[in-house]
Amino acid sequence: MSMDALLRSEEMTLCQMFLQSEAAYACVSELGEIGLVQFRDLNPDVNAFQRKFVNEIRRCEEMERKLRFLEKEINKDGIPMLNTGDNPEAPAPREMIDLEATFEKLENEMKEVNSNSEALKRNFLELTELKHILRKTQTFFEEAHQHQQALHDPSIAEERVGLLGEDPVTRSGQQNKLGFVAGVILRERIPSFEVMLWRVCRGNVFLRQAEIEAPLEDPITGDSVYKSVFIIFFQGEQLKSRIKKICEGYRATLYPCPETQAERREMAIGVMTRIEDLNTVLGQTQDHRHRVLVAAAKNIKVWSIKVRKIKAIYHTLNMFNLDVTQKCLIAECWCPVADLDRIQQALRSGTERSGSSVPSIINRMQTRMVPPTYNRCNKFTQGFQNIVDAYGVSCYREVNPAPFTCITFPFLFAVMFGDMGHGLIMFLFALFLVLKEKQLEAKKIQNEIFNTFFGGRYIILLMGAFSVYAGLMYNDIFSKSLNLFGCQWVLSPLSPEYNVITSKPEERIFVDPNGTFTGTSYPIGVDPIWSLAKNKIAFNNSLKMKMSIILGVSQMFFGIALSFLNHRHFQRPLNIIFDFIPMVVFLFCMFGYLVIMIFVKWLKYSSTSKPQPPSLLIGLINMFLFNYKDGEDNMIYSGQQGFQSFLVIVAVLCVPWMMLGKTIYQRYLKRYGQ
Amino acid sequence: MMPEGLTFNINHGYLEGLLRGFKGGILKQADYLNLIQCETLDDLKLHLQSTDYGNFLANEPSPLTVSVIDDKLREKLVIEVEHMRNHALEPLSTFLDYIKYSYMIDNVILLITGTLHGRPIHELLPKCHPLGTFDQLAAINLANTSIMLYNAVLVDTPLAPYIKDCISAEDLDEMNVEIIRNTLYKSYLEDFYNFCKKQGGATADVMCEALAFDADRRAFIITINSFGTELSKEDRMKLYPRCGNLYPTGLNMLGECDDFEQVKVVADYYPQYKELFDNSGINPGDKTLEDKFFEHEVKLMKKSFMQQFQFGVFYAYIRLKEQENRNILWIGECVAQRHRAKIDSYIPIF
Repeated sequence: MSMDALLRSEEMTLCQMFLQSEAAYACVSELGEIGLVQFRDLNPDVNAFQRKFVNEIRRCEEMERKLRFLEKEINKDGIPMLNTGDNPEAPAPREMIDLEATFEKLENEMKEVNSNSEALKRNFLELTELKHILRKTQTFFEEAHQHQQALHDPSIAEERVGLLGEDPVTRSGQQNKLGFVAGVILRERIPSFEVMLWRVCRGNVFLRQAEIEAPLEDPITGDSVYKSVFIIFFQGEQLKSRIKKICEGYRATLYPCPETQAERREMAIGVMTRIEDLNTVLGQTQDHRHRVLVAAAKNIKVWSIKVRKIKAIYHTLNMFNLDVTQKCLIAECWCPVADLDRIQQALRSGTERSGSSVPSIINRMQTRMVPPTYNRCNKFTQGFQNIVDAYGVSCYREVNPAPFTCITFPFLFAVMFGDMGHGLIMFLFALFLVLKEKQLEAKKIQNEIFNTFFGGRYIILLMGAFSVYAGLMYNDIFSKSLNLFGCQWVLSPLSPEYNVITSKPEERIFVDPNGTFTGTSYPIGVDPIWSLAKNKIAFNNSLKMKMSIILGVSQMFFGIALSFLNHRHFQRPLNIIFDFIPMVVFLFCMFGYLVIMIFVKWLKYSSTSKPQPPSLLIGLINMFLFNYKDGEDNMIYSGQQGFQSFLVIVAVLCVPWMMLGKTIYQRYLKRYGQ
Repeated sequence: MMPEGLTFNINHGYLEGLLRGFKGGILKQADYLNLIQCETLDDLKLHLQSTDYGNFLANEPSPLTVSVIDDKLREKLVIEVEHMRNHALEPLSTFLDYIKYSYMIDNVILLITGTLHGRPIHELLPKCHPLGTFDQLAAINLANTSIMLYNAVLVDTPLAPYIKDCISAEDLDEMNVEIIRNTLYKSYLEDFYNFCKKQGGATADVMCEALAFDADRRAFIITINSFGTELSKEDRMKLYPRCGNLYPTGLNMLGECDDFEQVKVVADYYPQYKELFDNSGINPGDKTLEDKFFEHEVKLMKKSFMQQFQFGVFYAYIRLKEQENRNILWIGECVAQRHRAKIDSYIPIF
């Protein structure tokens, strides 16, 4: 691999492939497995349903529909689907027919079993409802009997009369026969049903209802529903037909209910036996269905993958052009130059597999088209490449910033985060994700937020590790400081502040670095004394801000240097003169100078310097405003005023240099020729 | 009016946002051009997959039929409307209920007609529009006179106030059923119109214009359809909704019309309707009057989306979706029967 491999995107070439029609499927399958080519669509104007292989794609969609149906049934029964993490290859076209036949058979079997069990369940439901009716109506008829007896016995109160006729005269002869219908209805519908009955029959019917406590299973949907038993007493045929119509409308099922108790008891016994028989048959049907589904569940994941691969192959084949002689397919694709061997190998094995005699040909084409950008990544660099691509995919053969960001991105994050304790927690979390990579990937979790973290596990790992380091530098662990090497600020017992500390510990004292600082600095990180200081934040702010400026400006310089590499690679000398150089000069004059001043200020001044060291920020502002009124005291070095003015003027001159230089030069070239 | 802009989004912002998202998924002219190139219904399904419809036909076994597509299209619209109705607060919930009443009226008439022809109730119930179902619907088959219809079935439903105008003790038959349909719809339309007017603001602007057009359209159609039937002119006048632009003079003139030419004369007095009548005809190659009415409706509905913070967009979306469904079914029928002559007489929306 060339030096450039990691620095820039891969060198790509446009290739033309000639595939024999029989071998095309197998070759595309092999190419799909290695995943190194990007095909161009040679039929962009053709409608989706006018392409060559649209029928095969329809067949694949049919197969997918059947698989979805089977998966739904398997999930309904709660059978676990085996997911071995296999990656089966796409089957040959003739095997596709076998697969189709298998799916068809399975679907038909499932449909048959489902309809059988539906019929059985409906039967079961009817028998259960009948059983409940027979039980509940017992009480209704008993009441009816009581009423009847009450009529014959005038001593019982009058208001209990009503059910079996008001006129006691007709009582003497035969009973006024009341008709009745009994049935079962969904509980939710009862109030509406009652109202409707009352309205239509003008209050001449009598409804009694009792709830069925246990829920019943709806045969079609499988849901549990609550129902109630009702019985309606009426007189006359016309009312009967009306009642029947209402019951039909409210989807209440009516059952024939015998009048005498003896008959009812006989019927109940018969119903019980039939229910038991049905239960056995239902059990057997469910077992059979379970067996079929378990057998299917073993293979269903593998089948799904195979069907998806077949569909993908046909979608790709649709992009190919059919040669005039109809013998071979022509394809155009982009592929990395470095992988041409592997692609040849794949084509060869594909041709062999299909048993075709004519080899497939691939040859490189020259083209003016801009090739696509391909950055080869592994699982570690993929996360960083994604972040960089989110800002914009780099042009072909431009310098790829991603390898650099592998370090700079976590590092700058750590500079901002800077806490050992929290950094350690981040690091351990990411370590867990990394170590359990394989298991977590196999689970195929759909949660988007989890996938964001999981995809960035290496990034988070590095961020955590670097944060621990930065925390060490800032001496910050869970916002407290550690004293690992001994504090270098020692208060001598002779100083007046010492007494204050010992006698009045809450009082604040001023610790002058001149007497207290031992002279050797704390070896790694910020001295722990600062955690006790009231001006800790002021000190830390100044330190961190200056460090950030240094790091930021260095990164900017680095970025501009990379752009120089681009200009050199694409041989654009104009850009070097009119873009790169003024950018560097501009950056140096303003911020590079500031960085140098930071270092000068750090080195030049100490706690023994008598006058207050001049503020860099004010100095920078004054530099741009050409404001030097404050006099010599605020100068850090002699000649500062002149030098700074010179820098500002140069920086301002860079702006038209960058903006107008290239334009004017190119216009000049155009006008006056070479 | 400023206060609407400040307070509308508190209660209805989510639903309006959702609705405008749905509106963005309505098929464009480019989609229709693709659809009319289809050779089979499977191609139609393939094309619809790349639109907002997505895989709504994915689980239907082939071969597809137009009725399956019809059911699925309707199901999709019903899901969307039910979702919005379930999340709506007052007064949007009442507004959406009003829209549903028109489907209820259609269902009631469908069931009565079906019962008159002797069809069993369980065959008719699946044909009802899901947006217009209510508990007492199934008991329609009991009613053989309109008094019964009112007393037994409709009295507890929201349609009760609308049937008051047409109760009679006559038995229901073909003629009466149409009269009942039109009377119900007239009362419903006027009620809806008054409700929208009471809402005021942009809702009133948009909806009153839309409902006025609907009322006028019905008046024209009733008039034209009543030529050659036994419907007397006084009865016909009673069926005209009074909330349109034709009220009162236009309706009076329409009530006197005896043939199509006189109807055209009446329409000439109103510039927007004059244009519709002028450009339509019964010759092949002309658009029919119905199509022109649909086109005008589509134009009005599209205009309603220009205003924000009003309920008219909900009504407009449902109407446009219905038009889209009609378009897709028309194209589907032409494709299925391989009769491509009039395949592009759909009404483009966007």
